[in-house]
Amino acid sequence: MPRYAMVIDLQRCGGCGACITGCKNENNLPEGVRWSNKMTETLGTFPNVRYYYRPTLCNHCENAPCVRGCPTRALHKVEGGITAHDPNKCIGCRYCLVNCPYGVINYTWNKPHREWENDDAVIPDCTMSPREQARALDVPNWPLYNPDPDYNYQAIRPTGVVEKCHFCRHRVVNGELPWCVEVCPCDARIFGDLDDPDSLVNRLLGLFRAEKLRPELGTEPRVFYVREFCPCVYEAGKGMI
Amino acid sequence: MKQMNIGGSEDHGGSTRISRRTFVKGAAVTGAGLAMGGPTLRALSTDTAHAAPGVMQGEWKSSFCTGCTTWCSLQVFVVNGRAIKMRGHEHSQTNSTYCCPRAHLALQQLYDPDRVKTPMKRTNPNKGQNEDPGFVPVSWDEALDMLADKIMELRDNRETHKFVLFRGRYTAVNSMFYSSVPRIIGSPNNISHSSICAEAEKMRYFLDGQWAYMQYDMPRTRYVLCWGADPLVANRQVSTALRDWGEVLDNARICSIEPRLSGTGSKCDEWLPVKPGYDGALACAMAHVILTEGMWYKPFVGDFKDGENRFKPGQSVPIHTFEENHTHGLVRWWNLHVKDTTPEWAEKLCEVPADQIRRVALGFADAAPRCMVWVGGGPGMQPRGSYASMATYALNGLTGGIDNEGGVLAYNSNNYHGLPSHNDFIDSIAEEGNQKEKIDQRGRLEWPNLARGVSGGGVNTNNVADAMLDEDPYLPKVGMGYFANFNFSCPGTQRWAEAMKKFEFFAHMTTHASEMSWYADVVLPVKNCMYEQWATLSHSSHKHTSAAISSPMVDSIWDAKAMETEIPWMLAEKLAERGFDNLLNFYKTFKDPETGREPTTGEELDLYSLKIRTQRYWDPSKHQGGDRFNSWDEFKEIGCWNSDEYEYRHRWSNMGTKTGKFEFYSETLKEALEKHAERHNVSVDRVLEVCNYEARGEMAFIPHHENPYEWGDPEEYPFKFVDYKSRLNREGRSANCAWYNEMKDVDPGDIPYDDVAKLNPRDAERLGLKAGDKVRLTSPIGSITCTLNTWEGCMPGTVAKCFGQGHWAYGRYASKVFGQEAHGANNNDIIPADNDRLSGSTAFYGHIRLKVEKV
Repeated sequence: MPRYAMVIDLQRCGGCGACITGCKNENNLPEGVRWSNKMTETLGTFPNVRYYYRPTLCNHCENAPCVRGCPTRALHKVEGGITAHDPNKCIGCRYCLVNCPYGVINYTWNKPHREWENDDAVIPDCTMSPREQARALDVPNWPLYNPDPDYNYQAIRPTGVVEKCHFCRHRVVNGELPWCVEVCPCDARIFGDLDDPDSLVNRLLGLFRAEKLRPELGTEPRVFYVREFCPCVYEAGKGMI
Repeated sequence: MKQMNIGGSEDHGGSTRISRRTFVKGAAVTGAGLAMGGPTLRALSTDTAHAAPGVMQGEWKSSFCTGCTTWCSLQVFVVNGRAIKMRGHEHSQTNSTYCCPRAHLALQQLYDPDRVKTPMKRTNPNKGQNEDPGFVPVSWDEALDMLADKIMELRDNRETHKFVLFRGRYTAVNSMFYSSVPRIIGSPNNISHSSICAEAEKMRYFLDGQWAYMQYDMPRTRYVLCWGADPLVANRQVSTALRDWGEVLDNARICSIEPRLSGTGSKCDEWLPVKPGYDGALACAMAHVILTEGMWYKPFVGDFKDGENRFKPGQSVPIHTFEENHTHGLVRWWNLHVKDTTPEWAEKLCEVPADQIRRVALGFADAAPRCMVWVGGGPGMQPRGSYASMATYALNGLTGGIDNEGGVLAYNSNNYHGLPSHNDFIDSIAEEGNQKEKIDQRGRLEWPNLARGVSGGGVNTNNVADAMLDEDPYLPKVGMGYFANFNFSCPGTQRWAEAMKKFEFFAHMTTHASEMSWYADVVLPVKNCMYEQWATLSHSSHKHTSAAISSPMVDSIWDAKAMETEIPWMLAEKLAERGFDNLLNFYKTFKDPETGREPTTGEELDLYSLKIRTQRYWDPSKHQGGDRFNSWDEFKEIGCWNSDEYEYRHRWSNMGTKTGKFEFYSETLKEALEKHAERHNVSVDRVLEVCNYEARGEMAFIPHHENPYEWGDPEEYPFKFVDYKSRLNREGRSANCAWYNEMKDVDPGDIPYDDVAKLNPRDAERLGLKAGDKVRLTSPIGSITCTLNTWEGCMPGTVAKCFGQGHWAYGRYASKVFGQEAHGANNNDIIPADNDRLSGSTAFYGHIRLKVEKV
């Protein structure tokens, strides 16, 4: 049994957000929901100022608080250590939102892609309404509908339950990389098996002192960060009194 | 296909799955992933035991990106006639499988609910922003009948020059429409958007002969100066820059020179916040340091004959003491200007500390020749910007980072085959019309527009509005526009709003009812050329050029036509019905290179024109280098051709300048200016005076600092405006994509679903403003209202705001109330229309003063 993990090389990360868009694309995320997300900070004072970007996603913790706290076992561990979610078991209690220290679980308040049920055309008879277009394309919900996640999750999760990153389990178990990894134009996301000594993730974890988010909580995240978003160099000096 | 239940009550899993591809196919795609360098995943016995793999049956089809002028080669994942996903092109040696976030947004442009689905005509004869055109659907026949009648009227009245064709974005067969239609009708007026794009950076032509965009040899560079360029976000080869940057950070020192902390600035070693309008001073100071310290790259530039460095601050150097290799005029440049441009002098102007200027200049030169100044639009797209653009680029010459490992490279040729000539189809009426002055006034004394050194050689896009309002040289009557939205994208939008009203008849070819459509008499829906027609665009990076094709790969649910082929064909048929068949006969010369057949429909013309354009790739008898395909069918399947690898230093002393050298004293510019002056029987000084430059005498021929020309009194308008581009802008066309609005916070300092102006927190505090306040930005030409954000990445004394929003048409997300109220604000409403007249570039930077008030 492998143990899947992701290493995010912050130096390679361009802060472009392709992972966020790619994830929304692959997993049919409704408006306002991000499984793949980011944290940004702007530090310093002009002109000594820097902007930092850190991509985030479910950490697929070995010791996942969301799983432990889920009253219906909707959140559960599956092959490769992926923290999966079963919408059929989920009662929408949102304990997991509280328990997750990383804020990466989303609750779906509205009907997903409901904007495609709108009947208004901006120019009547000359442009389509969203519903008309969805029908013309023969898709039940939105034009970019991707049925793949339905393989072992649910292609579009219903209203009133939570939803979260599943490491693109539907792709991974079929020998394909998570889509955020594929679409990263910077090669900043590296995916692999911690039990495979030759995997690139293991090579990187041996090369760098990897950072895990909030390690003091003992959640044992499987998402690791290496290197700096902005590894600047500067002229040496001792400062002054 | 079974309908999916999105309510979630139905079991998920096998019963609701749409067609799955076989495991064998899955394995094949994994293999392709490996070829791209992706890591191998161990297949799991438990999981691979599933009955069917969980990835769709579909096909990666070749395409390209029209999101910016990089034109990356792409692939589209198409399932059952529907485009679902995007990636870089696996066969491309330029951007390869990598694509920037813009590519994904293209899907939402394709499946935008607000696309125009049918030709439509206006029913309200009154034109204006506040006039609902009252669009109603019409047939293609009716729409084109109206247009053809109007064109025939011009021909009957011998005023064909009053026909205008506006071009925005385009594909590589554009000349068969953009050039040929006006000429065959008899009009000189094909007006492109080029002068609002990047002409000022092309002033490098007068140094190294390239009136072109460049590629940047990132994998081998050791020092990068991003000068008014933001390669991880905008400007060219974004996908390649994102791919390479992590390693560039390992191998090279990177500086960002720009008034705001850009996306690229957040990933560099040093940020030099230059005061808007003073890039030329900073560049000349760096040149001064490099020369006084003896750090120029001698194998390229040459050296003093006796090896003694005579470049001493303030002291002239005898010309005969220096022997140049591949450059020309270094000592004259020094004597005329650079001897005095000390870092201390520059600090007072550009507000970058002298020691930082010195340190960066020396570090840059120390890396020579593996160093590059990546010049973007910033320094040049300003009134008087030509000379700053040249000054920044001159540093590449000093350090030999030109046409060299780790430096700035020309594009490899795309080897496109030429399209048939229209010359035989121009009759006497057309001949007469074509001789008339162009509507944009290019070439007049005050409009040198020296593209490729030719007086009036470049377009003057934004001046068309003024020319129309002044009816000088005449008032056009019939216009067509495609992939263009000038009354949104050109500074001084108010002028365009008035000008567009003056067309007797305007046909807009567009995917969306944009601000330009609002003034149209007919709107002709066009296909999205990335997905719905045959087309090609080429891209250069990584020492190669790749040219990718698109094809009609998705089921088109709109009654749209291809803009450069099908619509012109239909128009040609309409004109032929009216007794003028020259255009149709011209298009009949676009014979299928395989069969020799004449096209009989617009669709055939669409295909044949592409086959002609790409013939050197797939027809072995025409092959001229790069990938070789044995047949059209073979090429069409792959969809992407790659050039041979770039040959370094092949342009040294063969630069395409007058001397063949890299010209610090530009004989090429001197000749161009003298010819322009001669044409108007004036002196070069007079040209410069009329064109609002400070240079006189020989200063006209060298890169140098000019004081910025500003609009507005600093007392009344204390801030300077910094316009820039979002990493999600597909030029001006993505604002109606849901993801654009939702994801706007990927631009540093920006906020989702909003359009913010950014102010340094200290400036905001001084004005009693805080983040979230509604503010009014007022320049001497107008006001816009938007949300304020405070951001340390904003240089004090400046206001920074992304271009791209502020649409009052285009669609439901782009506008607040479609056709009535804008979402956010259009920067071009407050940017005064001004120009860098030597390059012909419209000014977007450096000249805009404004005040900020709470609403």
